[in-house]
Amino acid sequence: MISKKDFRKISDCLWEIPKSFRADMKVPARAYVSERMLEESFKDRSIEQLVNVSTLPGIQKYALAMPDIHEGYASPIGGVAAIRISDGVISPGVCGYDINCGMRLLKSEHTEKDIKPYLNRLATEIQSQIPSGLGRGRKIKLSIEQIDKILEQGTHILQKQGYGEKEDVENCEASGKLDWADASVVSDHAKNRGRDQVGTLGSGNHFMEVQKVEEIFDKEVAGVFGLFKDQIVVMIHTGSRGLGHQVCTDYLRTMIPAMQRYRIKVPDREFACVPFSSPEGQRYFSAMASAANYAWANRYMVAHYTRKAWKQVLGEKEKLELLYDVAHNIIKKEKYKIDGKDTEVIVHRKGATRAFPPGHPEIPRKYREVGQPILIPGSMGTASYVLVGQKEGEEAFFSTCHGAGRTMSRHEAMRRVSGQEVVKSLESKGIIIKCQSLRGIAEEAPMAYKDVDEVVQVVHSAGLSKKVAKLVPTAVIKGE
Amino acid sequence: MKRYEILEHKADLKIRAFGKRKRELFLNMLFGMAESQKPEIKKIKRIKRKIKIKSLDSESLLVDFLSEVLYLSQVNKEVYFKIEFDKFADIEIEGKLIGQKVERFGEDIKAVTYYGLDIRQLKNKIWEATVLFDI
Repeated sequence: MISKKDFRKISDCLWEIPKSFRADMKVPARAYVSERMLEESFKDRSIEQLVNVSTLPGIQKYALAMPDIHEGYASPIGGVAAIRISDGVISPGVCGYDINCGMRLLKSEHTEKDIKPYLNRLATEIQSQIPSGLGRGRKIKLSIEQIDKILEQGTHILQKQGYGEKEDVENCEASGKLDWADASVVSDHAKNRGRDQVGTLGSGNHFMEVQKVEEIFDKEVAGVFGLFKDQIVVMIHTGSRGLGHQVCTDYLRTMIPAMQRYRIKVPDREFACVPFSSPEGQRYFSAMASAANYAWANRYMVAHYTRKAWKQVLGEKEKLELLYDVAHNIIKKEKYKIDGKDTEVIVHRKGATRAFPPGHPEIPRKYREVGQPILIPGSMGTASYVLVGQKEGEEAFFSTCHGAGRTMSRHEAMRRVSGQEVVKSLESKGIIIKCQSLRGIAEEAPMAYKDVDEVVQVVHSAGLSKKVAKLVPTAVIKGE
Repeated sequence: MKRYEILEHKADLKIRAFGKRKRELFLNMLFGMAESQKPEIKKIKRIKRKIKIKSLDSESLLVDFLSEVLYLSQVNKEVYFKIEFDKFADIEIEGKLIGQKVERFGEDIKAVTYYGLDIRQLKNKIWEATVLFDI
């Protein structure tokens, strides 16, 4: 059992398990947490999972945990691993099943006062435009050829087809298209699961919120991001739906037997990995990119249908402009100076958000001077945040947290509170809630999650990213 | 002997199934997964779908079998409570799934994971398996 005595305190919000802790560790394991959060983390197996991450062949500097760390399948959720390309591995389990699960934020031109009279109609219309979950898709099923185009061209093909605005591509991580995607390495099973799910929200913790900018922490950066106090914005949280899950399932199935050939041993089959440069590794990297493109296309179309709802209620001239779209389950090639040498790594982020600093060439030009926008959702009914990347974040491979992080099982949440009680509590705060199932609401009750304010304070204090604005919900539209 | 039980898990669905023989264990895990999908069924007409799986070992066989069933369930909007095995070997299954059309699922099982996967025969000769599902 790992306990606090196994850690070395580096600062108030950074703790380290040295490499000497376990013989198979290749690097130390570091957790960006407060002392209280560290003690909480021993309630599940997340720290043990973090130590397992540190054993991956080719891992550089540290296995990292963000403050929203909780137990996942292989890597903890809230985990980051940068693995050297030249001699390291790639692991689907350290990306997760929901490839490119991520966040998108749309800005309105209105304040809460303007929108309040229309809020209920807006929430109802958004809910009716966007199927939420439970395997139910849109009425239109795309052909395999259409899915192939989305897999390889992401948001670009949708823009060519007339959906969205110019800035929807510009203001998206990687412009919503990873160039190394290849539809031929994605199975028919995965493609079939994706045929009716472009423009759907999904279930579980996926949601949409109409939010109000409650507080601005950094006026200059907020100005560049186009945020102002009391502004109404729309937050979207969803990913690659069944298609991404199938890609992960397919490649775990390929990699488990392949590990024997490459003589790789891992602590759990969910950690299955192969050399990055191997044929299996390259195929997975392209399939992961394809699923990531699908996820961006999904959020792009969710935004399209949201705008449709917005216009139906408020009028044709109404706009919802994209602030940014960013993944929190993804594997990307990035370059860092490690031991004085420029080193190319594949950064696995599972429940962690990329947080590039000011001046980084991969940030959209309009934000480049201030840094990359980061979108952090809270649990249902609590605050969400807009953060910005910092230079100091390089120590964590420019990564930050991704949300609040679960602390309680769904059943435990349902035992403690009913869906009706959660609805009442939200309504008492003036928050409208739209969800098909009361059970789904109870499962996602705020008490089942860590305190997002505390999570964000840790990444802010650690210098991984800086607070720009705090958003609070006015209406919640939930996956079931 | 109960067919399966739901175990406590923070974020996901953990099912432990039982069987006097391994094939019964697989059938009961299938049943546990189907019930956990909480399907709303209107048409009672039975549907049969062929399934054929070959894997590395019996643990992978269980996950691969359930993953294939889940895929068929998702794309056909069907639920399968039963399977008629034509072949049941250590690393290979052939058979016909028996199911029904579903109006909607009450629970969205998205993937079958290998995390903490365990198949064992207990001292009383009963087979037991534990599988974690991503929901």
